This record gives sequence, C-alpha cells and structure tokens, in this order.
Amino acid sequence: MSSPFQDMLASLMRLRGVAATMLVDEHEGMIIDSILQIGQDGSRVAALAASLHRKARLSSDAAGLGAVSFLQLEATGGRICAAGRDGMVLVVIAAPGANIGLVRVELLKAVRELP
Amino acid sequence: MADDIRRWSEELARDPGSLAFLLLGEALRRQGDLKAAHRVAVHGLKRHPHHADAHDLLARICVDQGELDRAAEEWEMALRTAPEHPGALKGLAFICFQRQQFEEAEDYLRRASLGDAPDSGVRAALDTVRRSSTSIEPADVDAARDAAAGADPQYAFARILETEDRTALLLDGSGFVLAGAYLTPDGRDVAAEVGAQLSGVSDEANRATRHLGIGEWTSIVFEAEAAVVAMAPAPEGGLLLLAASAATPLGLLRRLLDRCTEQARRWMRWHGDGRSGTAAPGGRA
Repeated sequence: MSSPFQDMLASLMRLRGVAATMLVDEHEGMIIDSILQIGQDGSRVAALAASLHRKARLSSDAAGLGAVSFLQLEATGGRICAAGRDGMVLVVIAAPGANIGLVRVELLKAVRELP
Repeated sequence: MADDIRRWSEELARDPGSLAFLLLGEALRRQGDLKAAHRVAVHGLKRHPHHADAHDLLARICVDQGELDRAAEEWEMALRTAPEHPGALKGLAFICFQRQQFEEAEDYLRRASLGDAPDSGVRAALDTVRRSSTSIEPADVDAARDAAAGADPQYAFARILETEDRTALLLDGSGFVLAGAYLTPDGRDVAAEVGAQLSGVSDEANRATRHLGIGEWTSIVFEAEAAVVAMAPAPEGGLLLLAASAATPLGLLRRLLDRCTEQARRWMRWHGDGRSGTAAPGGRA
C-alpha cells in the first residue's frame, strides 16, 4: 500500500547520486516511510540521523540561532543530508558525486510540503 | 569585552596611576588592537617602570607584533624585578624554543614549573621541548607562541576567526568545553549549554558512517536562521564547532573549519591529553 509520502520520497530518489531516502520521527528515531535499495537496512541510520538532527536543533536553540533548516554530514565515501519540521526529519543518503546543492533545494522544498 | 575596555579606560582617565592599564592592555591585545595595546602598555610602564606584569604585558604584545627581540628584552626586565615571574619564564622559553635553543627553553620551563601555581600547559610545554630537541615542527612553534602569550583557552581560536560574528569551540568527548567560547548576541555565555547538547555527536556520526560503509566522517554542517554551524572531529573523540553568520560562504566556512581543526590539534598537543586543559566556559572567541 502506498503511503502519502511515497511520491515525495520517490522524487528525491530520482536525484543523481541519491541512494536512499527516509522520513523519520525525530523523537523516536523510527522510520515513518522510506525508499531503500535492496539489501539496505535503514533503521539504524534513521535513528542516528534523527538524533544528529535533534542535537543540532537543541544546540541551535541553546545558542539562540533559531530553527535548523538543513544538516549535512560529509564522509570520505558519501553524505547524509537531513531537513526537518514539526518532529519529522527527511533524510537522504547520497554518494560523493551527488549534486548536493540540488539535493538541498529539493529537500527543503519537500520538507515545506510535509503535512 | 567592549564594556570592560570602556570601564578600564574610564578608570585610567580618572586615575592615570591605576594598574587598570594591565587589564586594558591585555583586553586590547586579545581583541587584536595591537597598536592601542602597545600604547597603553608603554604609558603604563612610564608610571610603573619596575612592574614585572607591565613588562610581561608589553612583551606579549611585542610577540603578537612579531618583535621577538624586543619581547625577550621586556621579559628579561620582568625577571630582574621578579626572578620567578611565570609569564616571563614561559615567554623566554618560547623565544628560546623558536630559536631552537632547547636547553635554555627547558631551563626556563623547569623554573616556571616550580612556581606556586604551575599550569598544566607548562608541564606539557616541557614535554614538547624535550621531544623537540631532535625535531621541531612549525605547529609546535605556533602552539608555544600561544602558550607563551598567556593564551587563555577561551581565545584559542581568536587569531583564526578574526571577526566577532564567528566563534569556535573545542569540546571533549563528553561535551565539556576545552577551549574557545560561545557568546550570544546579548552577551550571554552559552558554551557549556551548546557543548552539552552536542555531547555524543562525534560518536553518533561515527556509528552512522560505519553502518553505511561510507568511510570516516569529515564534517557536519547545519544551517540555522541566524548562523551556519560546522563541526569536525577533534582528537581523542572530541568535537570542534565553528559558527559564523548565515551569510558566510560555505567555501570560506570550510577553510576556517580546517584551520580551526588544525589549531585544535596543536592546542591539544600543547595541553597534553586535553583533560588537563581548562574545561571552562568562556568569553568571546
């Protein structure tokens, strides 16, 4: 059965270099919906990405910096991008060659459309 | 800091013989206003020519201005008045270290370590000097320079950050502040709070990247309404955080992050295992 988030996740998956997309509950770290490649287990990454986003949000609150719009973790072999709103975090796993500028724009657009 | 500078300036204006020039000169030095700091120190020395702290202040300003010979003269004068002045001993150790006179540097540091309140930096500096008698790295010289200049951990990144809308923090693996500072625009110090919220970030980033098999994490950047914040792994499970205005280009942010990360490595090398450093919240970076 298709969830209301599948179209949004699918449009993110179509971006070059994107390997997985997930919508995660920030507080519980549980996947609400996802598109993963065969063999991927997103649950642990979802929990960790949600936790990183929460820590960024809380530290931003502590410093009086306002809401966090976009987070990017860069590693030698790929990236994790996240954008959140109202307790939900959209997470994208991308390869090093991905167009992160475009991923960022589409991620922020998708987050604005979350119910 | 601006309020302190105003207060000490007013005090000096009221009482030109006041020792407030020591605080004012140091504050100006840390702010990078070396010309004004130099002027204040020289005026102070005219009224207090035998005050060791005044010579120490002028020497540190001279180091920042790159005038090492003049700095050495001032520290030697400080020692004539106060033979065990810790600042002068550390300063002369730094000068000898930079001149690769390791035995003399070690001697000054040993004397500094015998003082009433030797800091952990002196012990670590002593170790570095002993190690460096065979090889000396430019990074050690930089760290020695900061230590010699009496660098407060809060100001560990000040030279790199340059403008007041940037700030940097070095956190240990538990989120405690090792160096740097974080002041809100209204002057509230939130370094400890920010550190506490970021506790465990390094560990979680490691676990996420390991699970995905995408190698070591190199940076985390998040964009907030008022600033862009970048983080990088620091030695011993620590975390370096750099915040800059939201208008800062990401390329510049990355360069600053690299430079602060390198400074954090130097700082930790100079201050031993980090746990011996001052886990203090601070003023403006």
